[in-house]
Amino acid sequence: MISIKNLHASIEDKKILKGINLDVKAGEVHAIMGPNGSGKSTLASVLAGREDYEVTEGSITYENEDLLELGPDERAQKGIFLAFQYPVEIPGVSTTNFLKTAINQVREARGEKPLDAVHFLKLMKEKMRLVDMDQALLSRSLNEGFSGGEKKRNEIFQMAMLEPKLSILDETDSGLDIDALKIVADGVNKLKSDKTATIVVTHYQRLLDYIVPDFVHVLYNGQIVKSGDKNLALELEEKGYDWIKEEKAAV
Amino acid sequence: MIMSAPAILENIESTFKGNEVQKQALDMLKEVGLPGRKSEAYKFTPIISLLEKNIDFEATGDTIFDSSMLYKEEGSHLVFINGKLAKDHSTISEKLKLQVAEVTEGKHDPFSLLNAAYAKEELRIESGYEEPLFIYHFNSNGFSNPRIKVNVKDGHTFRVIEKLITPTDTKTFTNSYIEFTVGKNAFGYHTKVQNYNNHTFSHETVLAHVERDGQFYNNTFSFEGAMVRNNLTINLDAENCEGHMYGLFLLDKKSHIDNNTSVDHLKPNSFSNELYKGILDEKSTGVFNGKIYVRQDAQKTNAFQSNNNILLSEDATLHTKPQLEIWADDVKCSHGCTSGQLDEDAIFYLRTRGINEKNAKAMILNAFASETMEHVKVESVKEEIQGLIDQKLV
Repeated sequence: MISIKNLHASIEDKKILKGINLDVKAGEVHAIMGPNGSGKSTLASVLAGREDYEVTEGSITYENEDLLELGPDERAQKGIFLAFQYPVEIPGVSTTNFLKTAINQVREARGEKPLDAVHFLKLMKEKMRLVDMDQALLSRSLNEGFSGGEKKRNEIFQMAMLEPKLSILDETDSGLDIDALKIVADGVNKLKSDKTATIVVTHYQRLLDYIVPDFVHVLYNGQIVKSGDKNLALELEEKGYDWIKEEKAAV
Repeated sequence: MIMSAPAILENIESTFKGNEVQKQALDMLKEVGLPGRKSEAYKFTPIISLLEKNIDFEATGDTIFDSSMLYKEEGSHLVFINGKLAKDHSTISEKLKLQVAEVTEGKHDPFSLLNAAYAKEELRIESGYEEPLFIYHFNSNGFSNPRIKVNVKDGHTFRVIEKLITPTDTKTFTNSYIEFTVGKNAFGYHTKVQNYNNHTFSHETVLAHVERDGQFYNNTFSFEGAMVRNNLTINLDAENCEGHMYGLFLLDKKSHIDNNTSVDHLKPNSFSNELYKGILDEKSTGVFNGKIYVRQDAQKTNAFQSNNNILLSEDATLHTKPQLEIWADDVKCSHGCTSGQLDEDAIFYLRTRGINEKNAKAMILNAFASETMEHVKVESVKEEIQGLIDQKLV
């Protein structure tokens, strides 16, 4: 589905990603782990099309298309979704109104008819149940005054609404208590299929108990330095990241 | 205040046709002068020098009355042509009391004096019912001075919607004056939509006196104009009264809009709230000046003010200045102003959900702007404002 080759990216001349290689196929769940500052969130942002980052080398191919040529909105229309680490508060824009605009623009780009109010509401009710979302939040301004957990839940709710092919969850677990974490993970699991793929970016192993990865990659200093299966995550949880750093330093 | 620029006054004096009171207003005006370059109150809005360059004060234009410009709403519709009520074009409810009178007093600030001296008539209106009143000024002459006094009687609710319409091909200057007296426990609402062309210069004075338990609301929506100065003054003369000021200036091209507002708390337990928002694009200029006075007797006053602005272009200019003068010691006052660019993080967030850049920006700006519309209750006025906002943001 997506193939990242030798990806280098920098922000304001500071090199963050220094040659990432990653292949993700439909049906797979990949976890990207790593210490703070290793470039995890940068990778997520570059995939979503954040323009602050400059890609200086390498390529990203998504469904046979050069992803780097597309703006963030076009990527979303083609099925890429980023669940933000820090969802942005947008005063005055109601969640409902925002989602209706988003869905219909995505549908338009895919050559589908816009959803009418009845079908939109029906879809919304169905997806709300998936993440146990409080209806009252929907009429409020987008993320404004939401608690950390409500914001993260809202991200997964949006993901459910937009039905992406490739979902990137950027530290979706940080700031969630175990109950909220279960709800969010449950939502993600229900949305998984053999046609979709998920990239889970996280600092902690905890989330991976609930969203079980097929592959775990350790990102350190802008490169993937180790890959393995879910047991690698457990090893990291037990031993921390220092042994990775030492191993890397020894090479 | 340092005054100068008597040239205009000398030039137009030959056209003076006023009565004795108007003569006195003119004499007083000559004494105080019109605000020139060095006037603090007109520092960012050098209206006199622009008028000198652009306006032929004696020019008379063809009538531009167009009935399709009127709001399709129940209520009274008063059409003024060059400062005079045109009864044959107006719809006047039986319950609305009005009187066309001579000018019988002139206030002390220069533009109000100028209006008093050169107004052709003074229209006095008394609220008598609860349907809205629409006032239209079709001004095609070089210089017009509409003058209106509105009395919102005790216990009444009265909505006044006012609009200026000018020709697209002639330069005009409108110096309007409207005064509200809001009675005990009465509610006066005044809404203006300013979407002029680049030949339109205006100085618009709105003055309100509010009596005990009364409330006055002013909503001013500005979109375009060569140079527009709004002088809004609310005097909360009694206890437990309220003044509300809401404004939006959404400007582009070379439009220049100056909102100069002032609320004066004279007695205890009064409340004022002010919210002005600016969105400035291209080479436009926006000015906001908000004064709050809390006099010594006005204990337990609550006064809030905020002015938030978004600049969309490097060539746009914004001047914002809050001014608080408080003599009482038991009051709650707050003011704040912010100016910044569009929030890039917010745009990115919306774009990652499939919304294109243009729509994402419009969505954010629309949300920012619409907060000022809360107190516009007449449906077609609301639609008009929303339509203008949408048009500007596309």
